[in-house]
Amino acid sequence: MDKTKMFIFAGRVLKNLFQKPATTQYPFQPVDYPDRMRGHIEIRIEDCITCGLCMRACPSQAIQVDRKAGTWTIDRFDCVQCSSCVNVCPKKCLMMKKGYTAPEIEKKSETFTRPQEEKKEAEGASGGKPVLDAEKCVHCTLCAKKCPQEAIMVDRKEKTWELDKEKCVECGICVSACPKKALEMKG
Amino acid sequence: MAKRSIVPFGPQHPVLPEPVHLDLVLEDETVVGAIPSIGYIHRGLEKLVEKRDFKQYVYIAERICGICSCGHGLGYCLAVEKVMDIEVPDRARYLRTIWLEMSRIHSHLLWLGLLADAMGFESLFMESWRLREKILDMFDETAGGRIIHSVNCVGGVQKDMDSSMLQDVLRAVSDLEGEMKPVVDTFLQDYTVQSRLKGTGILTKEDAVAMGAVGPMMRASGIEYDARLLGYGAYNELTVEPITSTEGDCYGRCEVRLKELFQSFDLIREAVGKIPQGPVSVPVKGNPSGEYFVRIEQPRGEAIYYIKGNGTKYLDRFRLRTPTTSNIPPMVEMLKGCQLADVPLLILTIDPCVSCTER
Repeated sequence: MDKTKMFIFAGRVLKNLFQKPATTQYPFQPVDYPDRMRGHIEIRIEDCITCGLCMRACPSQAIQVDRKAGTWTIDRFDCVQCSSCVNVCPKKCLMMKKGYTAPEIEKKSETFTRPQEEKKEAEGASGGKPVLDAEKCVHCTLCAKKCPQEAIMVDRKEKTWELDKEKCVECGICVSACPKKALEMKG
Repeated sequence: MAKRSIVPFGPQHPVLPEPVHLDLVLEDETVVGAIPSIGYIHRGLEKLVEKRDFKQYVYIAERICGICSCGHGLGYCLAVEKVMDIEVPDRARYLRTIWLEMSRIHSHLLWLGLLADAMGFESLFMESWRLREKILDMFDETAGGRIIHSVNCVGGVQKDMDSSMLQDVLRAVSDLEGEMKPVVDTFLQDYTVQSRLKGTGILTKEDAVAMGAVGPMMRASGIEYDARLLGYGAYNELTVEPITSTEGDCYGRCEVRLKELFQSFDLIREAVGKIPQGPVSVPVKGNPSGEYFVRIEQPRGEAIYYIKGNGTKYLDRFRLRTPTTSNIPPMVEMLKGCQLADVPLLILTIDPCVSCTER
């Protein structure tokens, strides 16, 4: 383009002088966030089974889960809003919600504790630990591979299936992974 | 011969959004040589691939740099998918292309703003960034994040765009195209802008080849090459013509990027018109074993992604060669013979992304 002109932008500059600002007057004017916005993580603690899958999936190690104490802790300043934990949660009790975390003077984490009364109900609902119907089992090892806690040991040669009850978090992933429907959650 | 002196440039300089240091060898006001040094923001992100599972690493690859985030996630996923022999669904390929083109628009508009700022044209800078907001809002609506989108995953994309979202994207692109005219005219025809850009920092075609320039920098020197022609994503089914300029100066590089914006608008329209229905991801089983090397066209130029898997969920090696790494030697060559006052502008026209370069 060889043409050279002057004051091409003058029209826009004059317009800018007399029109409203292009920016939103936040915080006086509230912001309308879109539905998909990844703002912050929320947890429905009563449904949480403290399986720890979110803690393992978190790339920035912002989540700490304590099974014994039944607590779920998040450091909101470490969270990168990737929604990796939401994708892995077997109970779908983690959610990504609109709106950013408010600023704080000091860096601290937020802890949620599982309610004791509802804990029993939740276990009842999840149906306890997996029980094997040995006749149906083909020892394919899929349950062992999917188990987040590595609580299931399957030996294909010896045709054995063992569950480490200490490690099991009752997430029910093995039941849904079993191709022969040989597993069932029982109290 | 005039007396030589060395002037340090950077790492903190008003024109540089990120730290890079240059020792400029001057004879009076003329630059006769430049010695670059980098390493101020190395974070060891490549090493982290040994500590994080290969699916988790997508999130880290995306965070190597804010502006190139969509491309980094895509490049890494493409490499892992090739190693694992995963066929990505067609709809996912198109969605990736649409998001990547949107990120090209936002990166180029950001660069145009920074260029205007480097020339001291404050209102043009504000206008470019005002227009960029439209694309960032579309990212917020479709992907959930303005800058870091987290849409790519191994095996496809995490989110689908329904038809109303695709229409919103088209509307935003049309609005943007309409509002771009005064900005394009000002960059290409304004007297003051031309006097800063024309004839400064000429990189000849021969030098561009010899020094290994990539992206808009190479195309501005007249080389017809664009890594999108390799046909990753949905580019094999879309019309991609490399945009070139013969000038090889700052003006040429500005012209190429402006025209690439309009090419991206057309590509988005074409991709939305052709997008097939179907799933957006396939389940991923097993762990990667083997190595692969992927090239993609980032807004700043060709980026290379190399991965090596060992059959476990942790990769042995991830290597990323960014466009800025390749553009530093031609930039040093270009600086020779220019005036000290033009140095900030010249450095900016390579569109340096130091975060990517140092990883």
